[in-house]
Formats: sequence, C-alpha cells, structure tokens
Amino acid sequence: MYDFLISPFVEFEFMRRALVGAFALALGGAPVGVFLMLRRMSLTGDAMAHAILPGAAVGFLVSGLDLFAMTVGGIVAGFTVALGAGLVARLTELKEDASLAAFYLISLALGVLIVSLKGSNIDLLHVLFGSVLALDDATLVLIAAIATISLLTLAILWRPLVLECVDPNFLRSVSGAGAPTHLAFLALMVLNLVGAFHGLGTLLAVGLMMLPAAAARFWARDLTAMIVIAVAVAVVSGVVGLLVSYHLGAAAGPAIILVAGVLYAVSLVLGPVGGLRRHLVPGRHLEA
Amino acid sequence: MSIRRTIFVLCAAIASALPSVAQAQEKLPVVATFSILSDFVKNIGGDRVSVTTLVGPNGDIHVYQPSPADAKKLANARIVFVNGFKLEGWMDRLVKASGTKASVIVATKGIKPREMADDDDAKGGQAHEHAGVDPHAWQSIANARVYVANIRDALVAADPGGKETYEKNTADYLAKLAAVETEVKDGIAKIPAARRRIITTHDAFGYFGAAYGFEFIAPQGVSTETEASAQDVAKIIRQIRAQKIPAVFLENVSDPRLVQRIADETGAKIGGTIYSDALSAEGGPASTYIDMMRHNIRQLAAALTS
Amino acid sequence: MAAALQFRNLTLGYDRHPAVHHLTGTVAAGALLAVIGPNGAGKSTLLKGIVGVLRPLDGAIEHAQVKKEDIAYLPQIAEIDRSFPITVYDLVAMGLWRRAGLFGGISRRQRDEIEKAISAVGLEGFEGRTIGTLSGGQMQRALFARLLLQDAHLILLDEPFTSLDAKTISDLLDLIHRWHGERRTILIVLHDLDLARAQFPETLLLARQAVAWGRTQDVLTAENLLKARQMCEAFDRHAEICETDAA
Repeated sequence: MYDFLISPFVEFEFMRRALVGAFALALGGAPVGVFLMLRRMSLTGDAMAHAILPGAAVGFLVSGLDLFAMTVGGIVAGFTVALGAGLVARLTELKEDASLAAFYLISLALGVLIVSLKGSNIDLLHVLFGSVLALDDATLVLIAAIATISLLTLAILWRPLVLECVDPNFLRSVSGAGAPTHLAFLALMVLNLVGAFHGLGTLLAVGLMMLPAAAARFWARDLTAMIVIAVAVAVVSGVVGLLVSYHLGAAAGPAIILVAGVLYAVSLVLGPVGGLRRHLVPGRHLEA
Repeated sequence: MSIRRTIFVLCAAIASALPSVAQAQEKLPVVATFSILSDFVKNIGGDRVSVTTLVGPNGDIHVYQPSPADAKKLANARIVFVNGFKLEGWMDRLVKASGTKASVIVATKGIKPREMADDDDAKGGQAHEHAGVDPHAWQSIANARVYVANIRDALVAADPGGKETYEKNTADYLAKLAAVETEVKDGIAKIPAARRRIITTHDAFGYFGAAYGFEFIAPQGVSTETEASAQDVAKIIRQIRAQKIPAVFLENVSDPRLVQRIADETGAKIGGTIYSDALSAEGGPASTYIDMMRHNIRQLAAALTS
Repeated sequence: MAAALQFRNLTLGYDRHPAVHHLTGTVAAGALLAVIGPNGAGKSTLLKGIVGVLRPLDGAIEHAQVKKEDIAYLPQIAEIDRSFPITVYDLVAMGLWRRAGLFGGISRRQRDEIEKAISAVGLEGFEGRTIGTLSGGQMQRALFARLLLQDAHLILLDEPFTSLDAKTISDLLDLIHRWHGERRTILIVLHDLDLARAQFPETLLLARQAVAWGRTQDVLTAENLLKARQMCEAFDRHAEICETDAA
C-alpha cells in the first residue's frame, strides 16, 4: 500500500512537484471553473488556448524561444481578448459567447499570420504549453501565486460576482460595481488559464478547471458547497492521475483528466442533485 | 583583307564568348527541403546554383506544414533535393500540387538505412511519419559523402556545362569533411569509454552513434511530439542514476523544461545544445553542416570529459 | 408636498420611436401612484427611464432628493438566473447591498431584518430553498422581501401581481400600504382597473402621452379610457421627425 500510494512521491522530486502544481491549480482554478460553468462560459478555456497565440507569437518574434516572453505575450493577448469580448457583450446586443468566439477567431488567425511571417514553422503553442512533470521553481511559484491571487480576488469580489451572475440588472440598479467585477473575473480567468497553460499544458489547465466544476454540480445545491466539492474533486484527480501515470505509464496530463472524467461520470449517475439518479431510481414520494 | 579577317576573328571570339556570358548570368534554380541539405547543395553547387530552402534554420521538419509559397518555389525549380527515408512525408503531395517539372533527387540514395530504436511499448514517438526507419542519415559523415556524391551527380546531369566546377567543389568539400571527421573521432577518443553515453530529447543521432561508437538514449515520450508519463520519467531518472549517465543534452527544437527537471533530479550535467535536424541561424554556432558536426562533438566532449 | 420626481417634456423610446411622448408632470413625495394604460403605452419604459436604464430621447427626469441608490425597482420580467445555486435567504439578503456594500459583514441586527422580511412576505421555512425550486408567486414574494430590505424611498413596481393568486396579492398589497404609511413614494404599473380604483388614490393614465393624471376616480372615467384605447400600438415606420414642443 505504501509502495503503491506514497513511495512514488517520496522517491522522486518531480512527482512531488507535480503534486504541488496540481494541488495549486485545483485550489485556484476549480472555483473559477465553477463560476465559468454557472455563467455558461464552459468552453471559454478552449477558446482562450487559441486566443493567446498572437501574444505568444509576438513574444517569439521579439525574444525567440524564450518561455517568459511568450507567456507574457500570451497573457497580454488573453486579457485583450477576454476583456474586449466582455466589453462588447456588455455594451451591445451581442451575447458573451458570440462575442468571445469573434474575438478568439480573429486572434488565432492573427497569431498564425504572425508566426508565418517569421518564416520558421515552429509549433509555438506546442512549445508554450508545459508539462506537469517538468515544473521548475519559477513555474511552481507562478502557479502558486496565481492560485493565491485567485482565491483572494474571489473572496473580495464574492458578493458582486454572485449578484452579477444571478441578477445583473439588480446589481446595475444599486451599484456601479457590475462592470468592474465582470472584467475582474475575466482577468482572473485569463490569468489562471495562461499560467496553467504555461506550467501544465492546455488539457490539464482547462480540464482541471471545468470537469471538477461539472462534477460538483451533482452534489451541491449551494454555491459554497459546490466550490468546496469542485476543489476536492480536482485534488483527488491530481493525486490519482499522477499515480496512474506512474504505475501504468499513461501520459500524465491525460491521466489526470481521465480520472476527473471518471469522477464526473460517477457524479452524473449517482449524484443526488439534478443528475441521472432521479430517472434511474425515482424512489417513493414523501408525505408533504 | 587583313581587316576583314580581324573583324571576322573578333566576331568569332565574341560569339564563342557569348554562351559563357549567358551562362554566368543564369543560375540553376534548385530547392532543398531543409537547411542541412541546402548547405550541402550550396557547397557543391557554388555560384552556379541558386538554392531555396523550405524548412529553414531551427525549423522542425518533422511537424512542418508546407504553404502555397512553397509550392511556388517548387514550380520554379529545376531540381528538388529531398532527404528521403520518409523524413518529408508531405513532399509527394507538395510536388504534385506545385506541378513542377523539376527532377526530384533523393539525397540518401545508396545509404543503408537504420531502424529506429525499439520502442518499449511501441507507442508514441512515431508522430514522425517514418515509422521504423531512422531518417537522420546525415549524422554520419560517411553518409554525408554519399549525400554529396548524389548531389554532385544531379547537378552535373542538369547542368553539364558546370561539371568541372561541381567536381572541384566536391573535392574541396570532401577534404573538409575528412578534416571534421578526424575531429569527431579524436573528440570521441578523448572521452573515456564508460562515459560515451548521453540522454537527449530527440532520437536523431542513431547514425552518429553507430558510426563513432557513442550511445544516445532518447527516452520514450521525452520529445516534441509525445507527452511524457510519470512512469517514463521515473524510468529515465532511475536509468541515469543506475548507469551514471553523465550528461543530458537539449535539442534545439523542444521545450527544455522536462529535460532540465530530469537533470536537476539526477545531478546529470546539462550539456549545451546539440543540433540534430536543422542548422542554427546565420552567425549561430552551427550554421553549416561542418560547423554543426564540429559544434556537436565539442559540446559532447566538454560535458563528458570534465 | 415636496416633489419626488419631475418630468419635463419627457420623451423616452427605442430607436428614435417614442414610447413615452412629451410627458410633463410631478410625482409628489409620498405618493402612491398607479400607472395604467393599454399595451405598449410606455408604462414599463417610463419606469426604466426613472431608474436610469433608458436615457431620454428628449426632455428630462429630475429626481429631487432621491439618489440612485435610493430607488428600488422591480421589473416586469426579472432576468434572474433561476438555475444559479443560491438560497432564498441569500437572494433576499441582496437587498442589504446599500448598507453592507462590497465587504461589510452582516450584523446580528441585519440578520434579524432579513428573517423578518422573509416572514413579512409569507416565506418562512423557505430560507434554505434554492431559488430554482420556487414557484412564480414564491419568487415574486422573495423579490418583495428583497425590496423591503432595500429600504428605498422611491419604489417602482412593474406589474408585480401578474399570475399571482388572490392571497398573495392581498399580502403584497398590505406591504405596499405599509410602505405608503412610511412616506415612501411608490409607482406601480397595473392592468387591473378595479384594483386601481380600490387600492390606489392616484393614477396616471398613459397612452404614450398622458391622457389623464390625478385622483383615480377622476382619471379612470369611460371617456378617458376610450381615448387611451385609441392610441396606436405599433410604431409608425414612416413617422417624420417630431416638431411639437412641450405639451
């Protein structure tokens, strides 16, 4: 048992680092994921993975294969796309999803163009996205810092954020905090995504944000409980996924996400709130 | 009488000079698929050829995606040099699409191919579309001689007038190749036999290893194409520790972080960058084939003889 | 009495077509005003203009002494995301925004207020229910409870009784009268003429333009109602620029 569960982490530093990285991503990313899911922005993560390309491309043009430059460029591009899409959705008839789609497509095309200008055919995105098994000190610090910032920001903006999700008109009528809160949330999302891309790769970043949130939906009626459960699911996925990668030789990122996927499927079927259980096992009705 | 004769002779002289004048203006347009190949062609062809390269310095030919501009380059060329051994999986379609009338010359003709290193579980790694055959034949200088001969023959066939030039260039180049080969063999000799092994991220040095007695361990999954599993990384680390492999080398086209992590954890030295599939940019340490081989052996020696 | 609201030649509308046309008048502080009119008469538009969601195409609304935070607005169709996992308690508690703000904790006293508000609308026992599980009437009650907590001096209600049962309507009316007793200014959009006659002392009969404004029994006469009904509902696609000045 010890050999199976604990010794990989004791024997190898890269395993410990991977664990810490996944843990930090779970803490910071899962809550953001819950809000994204509730705001019907679940596909944003994938869109953002493409949207950051021109920023990374410019970083590449300026400093070559310098991960730092490309990540910074990616963050700038990400912010531009997310905030731009958010503003357009607020100020015009266009809804959030269409607005984001428009922006990210333009961004992606721009990015491909810029890369082709330089002539080199390096698959920038491939280089930009890291691996959970390769977390150096700088990357660990980055992920941990982003997790901290996320949690703090969510704590501070909790009320207006919830209000903005539930009843934006009410918020607009009592306070001007709606727009800044919305934009701050988008910025937080970009930070989490790009930081996680840089350190952990797209699949892991988006997957650990959205799958635990989706799973939590079936266990909790209350927002706080939902977030706690999402974080727990993310942490468990990280640990079990790493162990699967270690013992069975599966690629690390996909292994973690598949574990999360299994947890999601189980929640879907067995979860007490709004899942399939109602249909499968209706149960007898109550007196009142 | 004598004036007429003088004029006649003058005209004849001019007439005979015309062809060479015409020829000197017009270079033979050729295309080479990647930087190493085009370096060979430039050295053999000299001023008589104008070489266009598809995958430039630091480019990754394994994941290259040709563009319409490339088709245009092909259409204008008289000869197209490819490596062969399925390195350029996209080439056949591009040639068809460009409608070029150029002759396609396979530079590795006559070279005995090596098999790619056995994959433990036969997974991944083969995002290269040349499953089975190792295409990096140029890493052995003996093979480079065959490349050079094939190139010379192709140039002579397309441009018989330049035969002398090509043969002279070839001879000069072969001499340089011989010199660098001596350097490589000397370099290897200086490294103690037990230390003649390194970890590298890309399984591209099979021919080098076979030719000069060196072991390149390219661990499964630790490459540009596939994603690593914890099991793989653990295996490599254990192997490095057990076999006391002294150095880890970074290839010039991949994310260095995973290799760095392995090196940090095993205490193996991170060697410099060694070049496998592409030359460095102008002014870089490996901007020609000869510079590349020289650079690589020096990096290896530096890391392993300390 | 001091004026709570003043409309000066107010025109509100969409895409340059007026929905409220050249409205001038005063709403006294502490008034209990029913706003009546046929469909498309501009009633909701008027409320939106007062809240500030719509900007006037012409003219102005003056909010004397009433700041934006002091207005409570219950829209006709509350665009609330019913699937969001918050409880009735939390929804009602939103009414304390003005006092608690971004970070303020909710004091013991405020908790009592929330509970009182919930029971004032007849929703005791519902505190822990998520809003997705409420019926239309229950949701409306919860929103009224929130309004209670907002403690606003100007209250705008847009057709608050649609699809509610008689008991609920009666309870909510008690609440409204309580507010009126507390000297708050209340504007309420209604369709039920009998209810207006029975419960509301003052009425504005609106058919884009003010048809009549004053005591309910004077306003809701057969003659006035006929005039209002004759207002054209659709926007005129070929309308010219309006040259009329203040009415």
